[in-house]
Amino acid sequence: MKALVIAETADAARELSAGARTLADEVVLVTFGQTPEGVSDKTIVVNVPAGAVADDAYATVQAIYDAEAPSVVLAEPRRHVKSVAGRLATAAGASVITDVVEMGDAGAKSLYFGGVGERVRKAAGGVAFYTVAPGTFEGAVPSGAGVVEEVAWVAPAVPLTLKSSREREKGGADLFKANAVVAAGRGFAEESELDLARALCEKIDGGLACSRPLTEGVDWMPSGTYVGVSGLALAPKAYVACGISGQMQHMVGCNRSGMVFAINKDKNAPIFKQCDFGLVGDLKDVLPAVAAAL
Amino acid sequence: MNIVVAFKVVPDDQDIQIAGDRSLDFSKAKGIVSAYDLNAIEAAAQLAAAHPGSTVTAVTAGPASIDDSKLKKNVLARGVDDLIMAADDALAGMDAAATAEVLAAMLADGGYDVVLCGDGSADDYAQQVDVQLAARLGLPSVSAVTKLAVEGDGLVVERTLEDVVEEVAVPLPAVVAVSPDVAVPRIPGMKDILAAGKKPMDVKAAPCVPAATIDVVSCAAPEAAERACHVAEASADGAIEQFAAALKAAL
Repeated sequence: MKALVIAETADAARELSAGARTLADEVVLVTFGQTPEGVSDKTIVVNVPAGAVADDAYATVQAIYDAEAPSVVLAEPRRHVKSVAGRLATAAGASVITDVVEMGDAGAKSLYFGGVGERVRKAAGGVAFYTVAPGTFEGAVPSGAGVVEEVAWVAPAVPLTLKSSREREKGGADLFKANAVVAAGRGFAEESELDLARALCEKIDGGLACSRPLTEGVDWMPSGTYVGVSGLALAPKAYVACGISGQMQHMVGCNRSGMVFAINKDKNAPIFKQCDFGLVGDLKDVLPAVAAAL
Repeated sequence: MNIVVAFKVVPDDQDIQIAGDRSLDFSKAKGIVSAYDLNAIEAAAQLAAAHPGSTVTAVTAGPASIDDSKLKKNVLARGVDDLIMAADDALAGMDAAATAEVLAAMLADGGYDVVLCGDGSADDYAQQVDVQLAARLGLPSVSAVTKLAVEGDGLVVERTLEDVVEEVAVPLPAVVAVSPDVAVPRIPGMKDILAAGKKPMDVKAAPCVPAATIDVVSCAAPEAAERACHVAEASADGAIEQFAAALKAAL
């Protein structure tokens, strides 16, 4: 059995090649960005020419796919690679099972409705295409002689043209990096009360996030900061939910946190069944008291 | 220019409930336009407004239940001129590959300059319909687009990727998937909704029935993480201090 790995970053090339080794006897790696050494039996480098867009590598990779005839394809879940995988799958009459987080005997697990559900799926046909999230094959060790070949670029019939490419300025990534996140919900009666949550953030060097009503119902917080279904899914060491009832639609965005803390004036709020530490009380009294005790 | 915008009808994720056996209960979740497809519809409407004489045709496929008058009016009230819908129970539960196959059949006669798609649907978020539709139609495609403008005979788009921002010239016709940032969906007024009811709606049966290429082995809510649930009244002696100490220890 042969696996084809398609990746543009070295980390993914390494991890997916190692994972492919657990699924197949022979591993062929296709890269069109960084190329690590010694992770596959064969590594095929696609050099994207100046002025071309990496998505258009599909025409080149299609010839590789046809020649190698793999029974499993593992692709890195980045936009360029997802485009290439989609083109290959269509040509093969197959689907792409996307953003796999766990590969098991029964099939591949991915999130459904942003984590409300998890589905295990497998390909019905002779070839399986997956895009695989980082960490899925953690611990797997890549191996192989890694014979490197370069292939000539094959332009598609109607190519895109790259006019420019610049580094992206990243904003909002802080919440993903923060060790602590304080999330504000409907329990805040006025926008000015958010300063109480900000004061707690300062004490624990945390980022301020919110539940959906604070971006949709009122415009107190930027829409990029809401946690839950169709918003952010965060996993900080400590997540402090303030005035958040704990609906499933919110909790799927924070239930992978190390510790969940909750403050709510309703002692029957569902969040108190899903937290490690909870305080029942009014935010206006409790938040300053907690900040003072830190 | 003739603009097509594809959208998906999905159960409202705010109303999905988890049953005791961890299965997902959609019985209270009404069909709505998938959130980020509203941004694609808005982008189509804004592109049309910038080029007088343009038309916007919205296209979708799904089970018979998507043929809902309120939903159709909601789409047509957003700067859309007409709606083509394949509503057929043979099209229930389609994945991205199947959706691309059906949309390609619906668009087989051409007559469009660009097909816009959203970033991903609320259910699968596969980000595959755009590129697979383009593959079937033999067109170029580009994704993650945050700005688009007509330049000469084609489009020039800005796409915001993981690490870089690319400026890409796209020959037309093409399939373009837009990021939510491309445009903020409008809130249709009463006048728009009333006018929408008079716009052309073409509801038809499945143009083809794709074979399933994926088997779903299981689908359930994730198991809840075990949590300690130390809950105290804030006014209780030492409660604030204990909470603060645990918070400090967690960091």
